[in-house]
Amino acid sequence: MLTSAHMMALTPVILVCATAVTVMLGIAWRRQHAATALVSILGLNLALVSLYLVYSAGDVSTPLLVFDRLSMLGMVLVLASTLACLTMSHAYLEGYPGRKEEFYLLMLCAAAGGMVLVASQHLATLFFGLELLSMPLYGMLAYTYRDKRSLESGIKYLVLSAAATAFLLFGMALLYSQSGRLDIAGLLAGLESSGGGAWALAGAGLMLVGLGFKLSIVPFHLWTPDVYQGGPGPAATFLATASKAAVFIVLLRIVMVAPAFHVEWLHTVLGGLALLTMIVGNLLALIQTNLKRLLGYSSIAHFGYLLVALVVADGLAVETAGIYLITYLMTTLGAFGVVTLLSSPYSGEDASALHHYRGLFWRRPYLAAVLTVCLLSLAGIPFTAGFIGKFYIVALGVEAGRWWLVGGIIAGSVIGLYYYLRVMVTLYLVEPGMRGRDAPDNWGMKAGGVVVLGLALLVIAFGVYPTPVIDWMSVLTSPVH
Amino acid sequence: MNGIPMEHGLILAAILFAIGLAGLMFRRNMVFVLMSLEIMLNSAGLAFIVAGTAWEQPEGQAMFLLVITLAAAEASVGLALLIQLYQRFRTLDTDAVSGMRG
Amino acid sequence: MGVSMSYLPLTFLLPLLGTFILALSRGHMSERGSVWVGVSSVGLAALVTAFITIQFMSGDQSAQTLTLWTWISVGNFTPTIGLALDGLSITMLGIITGVGFLIHLFAAWYMRGEEGITRFFAYMNLFVFSMVLLVLGDNLMLLFLGWEGVGICSYLLIGYYYRDSANGAAAFKAFLITRIGDVFLAIGLFLIFAELGTLNIAAILEQAPAHWATGDSLVRWAALMFLGGALGKSAQLPLHTWLADAMAGPTPVSALIHAATMVTAGVYLIARMHGIFDLAPDVLHLVGVIGAATLLMAGFAALAQTDIKRILAYSTMSQIGYMFLALGVGAYDSAIFHLMTHAFFKALLFLSAGAVIVSCHHEQDMRKLGGLWRRLPLAYMGFIVGGAALSALPLVTAGFYSKDDILWQSLAADQKGLLLAGLVGALLTSLYTVRLIIGTFHGEMKSDHARNAEPGRGLQHGLPLILLAVLSTFIGAMIHPPLSGVLPASPGESTEAGHTALELIAAGTAIAGIALAAWLFLRKREALARLVSGGPGASLWTLWNQAWGFDLLFDRLLVRPFRILVFILRRDIIDALFGLVASITKGLNAGLTRTQTGRVRTYATSMVLGATVVLIFLAFGQ
Repeated sequence: MLTSAHMMALTPVILVCATAVTVMLGIAWRRQHAATALVSILGLNLALVSLYLVYSAGDVSTPLLVFDRLSMLGMVLVLASTLACLTMSHAYLEGYPGRKEEFYLLMLCAAAGGMVLVASQHLATLFFGLELLSMPLYGMLAYTYRDKRSLESGIKYLVLSAAATAFLLFGMALLYSQSGRLDIAGLLAGLESSGGGAWALAGAGLMLVGLGFKLSIVPFHLWTPDVYQGGPGPAATFLATASKAAVFIVLLRIVMVAPAFHVEWLHTVLGGLALLTMIVGNLLALIQTNLKRLLGYSSIAHFGYLLVALVVADGLAVETAGIYLITYLMTTLGAFGVVTLLSSPYSGEDASALHHYRGLFWRRPYLAAVLTVCLLSLAGIPFTAGFIGKFYIVALGVEAGRWWLVGGIIAGSVIGLYYYLRVMVTLYLVEPGMRGRDAPDNWGMKAGGVVVLGLALLVIAFGVYPTPVIDWMSVLTSPVH
Repeated sequence: MNGIPMEHGLILAAILFAIGLAGLMFRRNMVFVLMSLEIMLNSAGLAFIVAGTAWEQPEGQAMFLLVITLAAAEASVGLALLIQLYQRFRTLDTDAVSGMRG
Repeated sequence: MGVSMSYLPLTFLLPLLGTFILALSRGHMSERGSVWVGVSSVGLAALVTAFITIQFMSGDQSAQTLTLWTWISVGNFTPTIGLALDGLSITMLGIITGVGFLIHLFAAWYMRGEEGITRFFAYMNLFVFSMVLLVLGDNLMLLFLGWEGVGICSYLLIGYYYRDSANGAAAFKAFLITRIGDVFLAIGLFLIFAELGTLNIAAILEQAPAHWATGDSLVRWAALMFLGGALGKSAQLPLHTWLADAMAGPTPVSALIHAATMVTAGVYLIARMHGIFDLAPDVLHLVGVIGAATLLMAGFAALAQTDIKRILAYSTMSQIGYMFLALGVGAYDSAIFHLMTHAFFKALLFLSAGAVIVSCHHEQDMRKLGGLWRRLPLAYMGFIVGGAALSALPLVTAGFYSKDDILWQSLAADQKGLLLAGLVGALLTSLYTVRLIIGTFHGEMKSDHARNAEPGRGLQHGLPLILLAVLSTFIGAMIHPPLSGVLPASPGESTEAGHTALELIAAGTAIAGIALAAWLFLRKREALARLVSGGPGASLWTLWNQAWGFDLLFDRLLVRPFRILVFILRRDIIDALFGLVASITKGLNAGLTRTQTGRVRTYATSMVLGATVVLIFLAFGQ
């Protein structure tokens, strides 16, 4: 039965969907770019506020969805990332010659999908949320389809993501066939009692492939740089942040509730994938000369580090994953934000080749400073958010005695330092006669500029004074009382 | 149950899945790629039906409904992109769409 | 905890705010605005310091700590960001913000019309921030952060006139040589943390005596490492060569960073870590010996300089040598007392030198100045008062009280050799001080720059000079740092035997030095000139002018062999090993990049292969 408590708990999701409908009707009535952006941002803010009310009302669980602290965390992350992406979209799309408004519609739908995904505790909602998240992304990535690269990235993501979905679905079907249950807890319990078997194992493996694709875990990572490079800035940002965060949260939930996951063989597989991911991701970025590709490779590596939390899967693992995720989101949003702002307003291919950034500091000191802070944070330099996250991950690995993974993190970080520094140095080079792409003069006026500046400040603030976020995280990730 | 073991159904689904995969790996024409994806999705749907029947539950069929909805949506977006692909690249060869690499 | 403690963070947050405002203005700020922000931020910090000091002095003067927050907390590694306020840090805080404010004020006059004044004040405020952090941090990590911060600011400010590549080289030299010290300090930090498991200063001082016996080899290593850090920062032998070149920066920078505050950070460090040094008496003795050697070396070198700022730079080394000497005989509070009076009179001397330099159109070679005393009375007054304090003229100057205290402590500690070095140093000090004053202000004017000197005007110029002059007299010596209870008792506290006699000897030395110098440089000028123009006198002059040739020595002894070694080892096996790692990485990169074909089919295939591997692994794993 749908009670008022359920309705109450659903408010954030409903609000986002309602915003999407409003935006759709608005487009049908009259196209107005600024108003569309404003309505979308307003709706997302309302959803964020309602999230607080839902949180204070306590946990609500339905057969399909659960609104506990972890889903709250996931929804906050998804909504905040979407907000940042939306704000940057406005500056970006101002210059787009085609129809601008549908982009917001797509992003709002994807955000709703992400919210369903993080709250799902049933394979049906997991699947539904994941697809609601991915499907609009095809459109967003290919949104500027007159540009061949955008179209290419859309096609690649469509084909490969659909294949990954097929893997995921087939895995689900196999697990269902062995347990007779579709809710995650019951399913895993059923497997536990029936002792697994080859079909169940294959099912788990195929699901891992499906979710691993979305998180761009090596060897399912090949799409990442191409799609990031080709997609319009805000779409790539969304894909790198909100989408990945939501998928990771659901994976975290599965690991948390699943006693079946406390078996060594699965940990070994996950551990191997994590090690491979962090090393390969960093190696691929080594001499990359396209910043968006480089950030793509770097995000591969970062999810390798994050997987360590899943491998350990006890003690402070969930808290650590939450902390790492939030530092990753802040930093990635900031870095992609700068790229997006530099490519705004839209005028063909994004400004992502490294030579566009040569001497950026002397032209746009604020943007260069923001990017520097974000790169430092990605590299995990002390007194940035990235260091805190990495420190927690390493501490977790050390605590659990996973020395191979700790070694991998350190080796990955060393390689990482090399290419992050390379980009940073580029920002400060002086090269006469070289005209790079530039943000419009009034970028500071635009909301996007304020967002990236705020993100950079947040990255530093969290690096210097992490206690509040850590406390908040430990509350949000503590098991339901 | 009509005597066909669940495993047989699953194996059939797995074979279909593998056929789809093979198509994905070896076909270059975008139309065939999309068809292969349909086959893969439908094989998963079949597996759900088989499992649902074995457990005598309606959930398998419910999942199948979700799956074909997705397959339809996927196909529509895919065909839209296919048209654009033909307009921009004048080909349906997916290998031609490899401007970004490295 | 008093109310005042909660205001303590303002002392470094205000300068930091100033830095931010100046840096974020992106050069759009007017000169007036930059000066206002830059000076008032430090001025307000000084006011807060005064308020806190009053509260502190009226209370029981016990050490207080203010824990701001815990940085991260994983396992037993819980570094806290906290501030500690005791007599030592409040003395340093007063010097940094008080003298710092006066120097900022003077800089507003000195730097007027200069290009990039916003940048200048942004760096200066950042320096004050880092320096305050250095002295207030309650743990070594924060101290180290401030330590690195002041080093970077020093680098930036020495190279302030970056268009001249020599200034860039000087900045780089300063940075590099102090880095050597910093590495030692970092090793010391690791050593302490590995042994005691904490970086909290109070905890270290408390646990050290229980953890180590006196003379334990580990504690000696720790003390040696700290000493290494202090030598670099405080320009003591053998890491002193950077300070004279550091004079390339604007003169207020020399006054603030290279005289009053940053270079004394080494003294502060040793005084702060006294518990470690007390456990390693032979290292502590080494501190004194290095101090004595430096004060003599720098004293002779100062005699043979012609650039007024270089004379002051060597004099600074020499005076810090006195502080090290005091530390070495266990008279920590005498060292801090001299640190304070030195900050007053050396800031005065540098600012007066700055006044001369600006008035004479950036001419700072003594051979081209002279006879300025009529034209620049205020600067002359500054030099007379500051010089008197520097050469410790008895009774009326602040320098006399602090330097006499150091000499007395070394006698009380029965360190006759150090005492003798101190006395010889005092004679040298008087000689070079009088030479500096006579050369700059008396005799005939030796260039058009001097003849056309325009005296400075205005409050920004006059007030700092007058206030510092007042503080350089005995009035300054009446400020007694509230150090009892913070630092261990000095050797001279138990006895008074021979104090008066020594006072007389010291006073006599100073006066004799001044008289001798006056006679030499006023009456026997030709004879002196003949002496240094040929024969052994000339060699000695060159030797001292090159400050005993340390730069040359380092070049021959370290830099060249290093270069040769590098040349020989170009194809070294270890190098090849590193090269191998690099080329393996590159090879892997190339191989992996090849997988990024851009083709959807390849990517799908990789997924399928990956899935197969995972499935096979799962099948066999069970």
